[in-house]
Amino acid sequence: MKTPIHKIFFFGILSTVMIVFSWQHSYAGQEGVQYKAKNAIAPFDDEKKMDSVPSLPDDSIMVTPKYQGGAFWTLTRKDKVERFKCTQCHNPEKNNTEQTVPTAHGDIILIHGGEEPLSCFTCHKEDERDFLVTEKGLKVDLDHSYQLCTQCHFRQAKDWVGGAHGKRVSYWAGKRVVKNCTACHNPHSPRFKKRWPKTYSLPLK
Amino acid sequence: MNPRNNKDCRKQQKDNQVEDNRCGRREFLKKAAKVAALGSAAMVTGGAAGWKVSGEEVRLRWEEYLKGYYRLMTQKEKDETVRRLERLAKLKRGVDIQMSNKEPVEGVLFGYAFNVTRCEGFMECVDACVKENNLDRKSHTQYIRIFEMEHGQMLPEQGNGKYYHEVPVPNHYYMGVQCFHCENAPCVKACPTKATWQEPDGIVVVDYDWCIGCRYCMAACPYWGRRFNWNEPYVLNKEMTKKQHYLGNRMRSRGQMEKCTFCIQRSREGKLPACVDACPTGARVFGNLLDPKSEIRFVLKHKKVYRLKEDLGTDPKFWYFID
Repeated sequence: MKTPIHKIFFFGILSTVMIVFSWQHSYAGQEGVQYKAKNAIAPFDDEKKMDSVPSLPDDSIMVTPKYQGGAFWTLTRKDKVERFKCTQCHNPEKNNTEQTVPTAHGDIILIHGGEEPLSCFTCHKEDERDFLVTEKGLKVDLDHSYQLCTQCHFRQAKDWVGGAHGKRVSYWAGKRVVKNCTACHNPHSPRFKKRWPKTYSLPLK
Repeated sequence: MNPRNNKDCRKQQKDNQVEDNRCGRREFLKKAAKVAALGSAAMVTGGAAGWKVSGEEVRLRWEEYLKGYYRLMTQKEKDETVRRLERLAKLKRGVDIQMSNKEPVEGVLFGYAFNVTRCEGFMECVDACVKENNLDRKSHTQYIRIFEMEHGQMLPEQGNGKYYHEVPVPNHYYMGVQCFHCENAPCVKACPTKATWQEPDGIVVVDYDWCIGCRYCMAACPYWGRRFNWNEPYVLNKEMTKKQHYLGNRMRSRGQMEKCTFCIQRSREGKLPACVDACPTGARVFGNLLDPKSEIRFVLKHKKVYRLKEDLGTDPKFWYFID
């Protein structure tokens, strides 16, 4: 028996067409902001688009790793340490100041490392006090202290390089200048302290 | 009063036809116009310190009162109203403000991400926002709310939005809620005067002078992102942010709607919004969604993100993410 033509139409052609179009339709519905963001692959040139691009701060220094947009910068630390260079005191000559240790570094409380707490010389280079030192013994400048944090906190470091951890300095546009790890975390006791909130909210209703 | 229904008036019209003492629709409208002019003049001038207002201020207020809708203004008109508002601020309050009407930058769509793992509820952002946006200190208006949530809670309705104790509390996380600048914004659809709209860079703004204060947008917003001025906002001159934007943090008045604008006066200049700048834990990420190298794009690509009440189809440009 021959199949009637209307049956072929309804069960064969029409259903195929409907399936194809429903699939298309379900994808057409994804035109949201996420779709827009995903499809924007053309590079955005801040300097051309923005009429006032912030210039690089004087106290910025280029970071060794690269992020998805190339080189980025961080703020320096050395020029803000009041008693730098450290070798002014930490030198072979004998220091005669009374109570040297409490007056110089009495404010430092070392709570870092959990079960196996770190000591001063985990990060500070013992024989060259103006520098820091990695676990492998590489000398690190004080401005590049993130290189030390990266050794253990590699997940956070990855996010910091990409932009999911840490902060940019003041501008979202222009050259990327981010805060160093030690701008927010005290390297000697990095966890944020418990404290009172800055303000409070009233109930909305 | 409808003169057609006024039977006495009609009768009078018949009687007085001879004496030329007319009482008709045209006469009524003339009188009404006079009364309206007098009334509005009193209203416009009477608001400030009694009747001691200078001629210049009266003129500026009149021009402000009769100005048009921001989106239909030409660039010249926009510049004029900005200059008028600057001058009025000087005359009324004695402060020098710098107001801009900077247009959106092409190829920019602002996006925001909030790290719920990092936020510890210090509320520095709320404080910075209040200061930056000249929010009313009297009614304690805030654009941002931080909710203290127990693990497992997802909606801010379940959290505690009025905590005041030492933070962070163990086994809790903190969730900041503000205007999400939805691509498909329900508030924009609800506004009967089109006083609120989405700018090409994605910021949902309000033309404060076009707002009639009906609060339909407030009812339409599923995120409680909008605030209403029940009273004249009170901000001390010395605490006022002088760098303002027409659609952003300029002074509102009573009966007008306001909301977070991603600090339009800062973000269009390339700066971060005040909340992002103030955050002590780096929980807030802001950037251009159309820029492949931006931080916000990194977060969307590499982190687990979600949006609040995504099922409503409002398509917000505000993502929450976890580390």
